[in-house]
Formats: sequence, C-alpha cells, structure tokens
Amino acid sequence: MRFGVGLFSLQCTAMQPRHWTGAYRDMRELAVLMEDLGYDELWLSEHHFFYDGYCPALLPAAASVLSVTERLRVGTGMLLLPMYDPERLAAVANDLTARSGGRLDLGVGMGYRDIEFDGHGVSRKQRLPRMVRGLEVLEAAEAAGGAPIWMGAQLVDPVKRAGQRGHPLLFSAALPFERCRTLTQIWEEGWAESGRPASDKPALGALRNIWLTEDSSEREAARDWVRASYVQYAGLGWTLPAVGEHQQQDYAEETDKAIADTVETTISGSAEECVRQLKQFDEIGIKHIAFRLILDGEPRDALENQLRRLADHVLPELRDRVPA
Amino acid sequence: MRLGLVLADRQEAEMARDAESHGLFGVLAGTGDARTAVTSAVYASTATDFVRIVVKVRLGLEHPVTVAEELSVLDNVNNGRTVVLVDSGDLAVDDAADEVAVLREALGNRPIQHEGPRWKVPAGLPANATAPKAIAVTPKPAQIEIPFWTAIAREPAECGSAGSVQPGIARIAGSLSEDRALVTAWAEAGATHLLLELPEGGEAGNRAELLTMISRYLAPEVGMPHFPRVMSDSRVPLPWPGNGRA
Repeated sequence: MRFGVGLFSLQCTAMQPRHWTGAYRDMRELAVLMEDLGYDELWLSEHHFFYDGYCPALLPAAASVLSVTERLRVGTGMLLLPMYDPERLAAVANDLTARSGGRLDLGVGMGYRDIEFDGHGVSRKQRLPRMVRGLEVLEAAEAAGGAPIWMGAQLVDPVKRAGQRGHPLLFSAALPFERCRTLTQIWEEGWAESGRPASDKPALGALRNIWLTEDSSEREAARDWVRASYVQYAGLGWTLPAVGEHQQQDYAEETDKAIADTVETTISGSAEECVRQLKQFDEIGIKHIAFRLILDGEPRDALENQLRRLADHVLPELRDRVPA
Repeated sequence: MRLGLVLADRQEAEMARDAESHGLFGVLAGTGDARTAVTSAVYASTATDFVRIVVKVRLGLEHPVTVAEELSVLDNVNNGRTVVLVDSGDLAVDDAADEVAVLREALGNRPIQHEGPRWKVPAGLPANATAPKAIAVTPKPAQIEIPFWTAIAREPAECGSAGSVQPGIARIAGSLSEDRALVTAWAEAGATHLLLELPEGGEAGNRAELLTMISRYLAPEVGMPHFPRVMSDSRVPLPWPGNGRA
C-alpha cells in the first residue's frame, strides 16, 4: 500500500482563522516533513469563490510543493476539469510533470456548484461534454508520458465510466467502507467492459478519516475536528448521493445527521485497530490511502504528532505486507 | 534605477536564488511557453525570500477569473511579491483592456460584477440558476494590490518619465564597458526598473561572473547620480580567515 495525506485546501475558516500566506507556507513545511517520514503522496482539493479561500488553483499550489520536495507525489483531488481550457491545462501539467520528475497525479472531477461554473463562464449543462473533451486531451497527454489521471466520483454511472476509461478513483473519506466496496465493484465492471486485461488494473485510492490514539479525550477531540471539517461541506452544499442500498447523505438539508454519519467513518484506536481496518481496503484493491488529517480546528502540533505516529506504527505494517 | 534578472525557462529556481543573493530587485518568470508562466513563477518564488517575482501573463489563453485565481495563489506562495507584466498577445486593444479590467477587479477586494466588450462576470447563464449576481475570488492576494505593468520598454527611447514606475527589458553583452553604457542609457531615459537578460540564455557556467558584474559594477552605477567608481573598482574586502574567498 501507499500512503498520503490530504486534503490540503489552504483555507482560513471562521473556526480556525489564519493568514493564507501562512497556510501555503505550512503546506510546504508539512510536505517536507511528510517526505522525511516516508509518506508517498500529498493530495490537494479545489473549490472557487468560497469565503475562506478554499484553494481555487491546484496546479500552482502543487508546483509550490513539488518545488521543495524530491520524492513526494502531489495529487489533485479533485481539479474541476470542466472549468478549464483543457489544452492549457495539459500544457501546465506536462510542464510540472517534467520539472518534478513525474511526481504529479492529475485527479479530475466535474464540480457541482452553480456559482463556480457561472464565475468561469461555463454553463452547468455543458459540464459533462466539457468533462469528456477535457479527458480526451488529458488522456492524450498521459499516453505521451504526462501525468497519470485519477477521477473522483461517487455515482454509479461516473464510477463505471472511470473504469471504462481506465482511470483509478480516489474515493471520498465520507464514503463508509461498504460503499467503497460497492463502488469498487462497479468500477471493476466498467474496467472489464472496456476489454482491458484484469492484470493491468491500477490500484484505487481512498481518503480516510483516521486518528491513531488510545486516549479517549484525544479521540473525542479528533472526531470533533472531523465534524467541524465536514461543516465546511455543508456550507458548500455538498451531497453524497444514494447508491443502491446506500442512502443519500444530504449535508445541506440534513446537516447534523449527514455530519454525524460521516464522523462515524473515522478509523480510530490503537495501531493494531488502524492496521486492521486499513487492511480491509487493501483486500478490495484500494491500495492508496490518503489520511484525511487536515481538519478544521486541529492545532498544527497535533497534526505533526499524528503524522509521526502513523508513520511509526501503521505505515511499516502495511508497506511490508503488500509492497506497492 | 534598479536592476533585475530575466529567468531562463526551467532554470527559474537557481537563477532567482542567484539574483536574490546578488541583491537584485526582482526576476522575470514566464519567458518560455506562455501557458506555464505561473508555474515558472512558483518555482522562482519558493527558491527565494525577497526578490519581486514579475510574471509575464499572456492574455487570451484562459478565462481571466481562472488566471486571477492562479495569480492570487502565487502571491500567497511568495508572500506578496508578485508583479504582473501584461502581454496582450493576439487580443485587440479593447479586448485586452477588458481582460485586464477583469483581472484587476478579480484580484481586488470588492465583489466582481463586470460587463465589458469581452467578458461578463459572473456570466449569468440560465443553467446556473442558483449562482449569485456577484462573485468574490478567494484567496485574496497577500499584498494590498498586485502591481500591473501593462507595458514594458524595449528601448530607452520608449521610456516615459510621467509614471512612478517605468520598467524596461534589455539583453546585456557580457562586456563591462558596453553594459555600463547600456544601463546608463536606460537610467538617463527615465527607466525605473530594468530587467536584464543574460547573453546566450545565461548558462550556469558564466552566470556567476555575469551576476557579479551586474551587482558590483552595473547596479551601483545606476543606483545614484554620479556614482564614484572607486567603490566598485576597489579590491573586495578580505573574507573571514579560512572561509575560502581569495
């Protein structure tokens, strides 16, 4: 398995105010620390026109991390592809791939907020054709040695399309394990339908809320930071749609319930317990785990402490078992 | 007049670091593929602490709100050191002016509601029913206002003396006498900031010598009227014993 940390969104929130410049500096410093501790990946996240400065430009942010690291991969999770000129985007991604020695992962999604489309002069009705056109351009770039494409999706059709096109998925941390398993099966159906050999299947990825501790008060604090960080998504109007037997989680209309359900996805406890739960993902083909540790309200020293603890007690167990 | 350095494509970090260590005011990034200018500027930014990062922005390649968002992230990465050098590319004058207006409004501190000959922001498209009538680009730049250089002189004769800032760009020859005459001509023409391009793209081999020439002889020459040359012609002070400099 491979391990990363996310989602770096560079916000200055109502609950945790800070200067944006400090947020970008902190990310570079944490990236260097992550690299020293043996992490493989750092994942960024994008939104636009939000009060807290949620990062709207992932490739410049990725460049800032890639320029100060030597081994760490940097992924966009997710860049909202329909809002960009795909040829220009491909040129920037190619440049960054060349500069960094191939350490960029280009995760792309469609976006869902009307304001973000309208502010960029794009009709929301055009998001699917623009997504497909953008993917065609990026796939051509990838085939020529450009950045690997990842996709973010949680509905049946987009998940299957990702499988059909041969792109790995990075699942949201809000998806419980069972839903990840359902969607992985759908993705594999798409992969099989495309006629690609099963042996070529890429490993999938998942963000996971996690906090390694056996201290109950620390555990409660961490779960509360997870709660606070999902309040951001309620503000953004995000909804986790129903898939098969898995119910919708509506952050806008049923905020408290949706957030409480999501907090329950948090893996917490001893190192043995964290390893046990993460192995479940390994067994269904999800071998990239991005610890979702960038949380609203979380002090930096708590974050650094958790990065060290997971690196010392969890990474060695799972890396040894299934070398990536 | 103050001197800066034009960065070669894919050498931004090392050259910007060198420029900073030689006391230059700033560097120009984005001289390669116009589409990757902001990436170039990010690499120059994270390698330095103080120099201004002048980034050449070609208009007409992307929606200006997207460009504004990238510039704002850049300005936060470099703690408020960004300067935008506008390249109007293939745009007509009115279209270029409209695009610059959107960029500046988007980087400002008021919500944007812009309607001009080229752009309407927000677009107000029927399918985006819940979008509001105005938007605010965030994060805001680190500095109060990102300076925009909408024109840069390529010859001393193009300089004006009315504005507080008159940038120029010139290639040095690598000869002290020629380059001293060059920068002096620019200073006398009223340039305030001159970005110097190194000869032959400024390969690392002779870059150190060229930067030493710029910082020791050229920058002082134009830093004050009637510079007493004895100060740059005199012998370099001794290093701390054992520290290596001969």
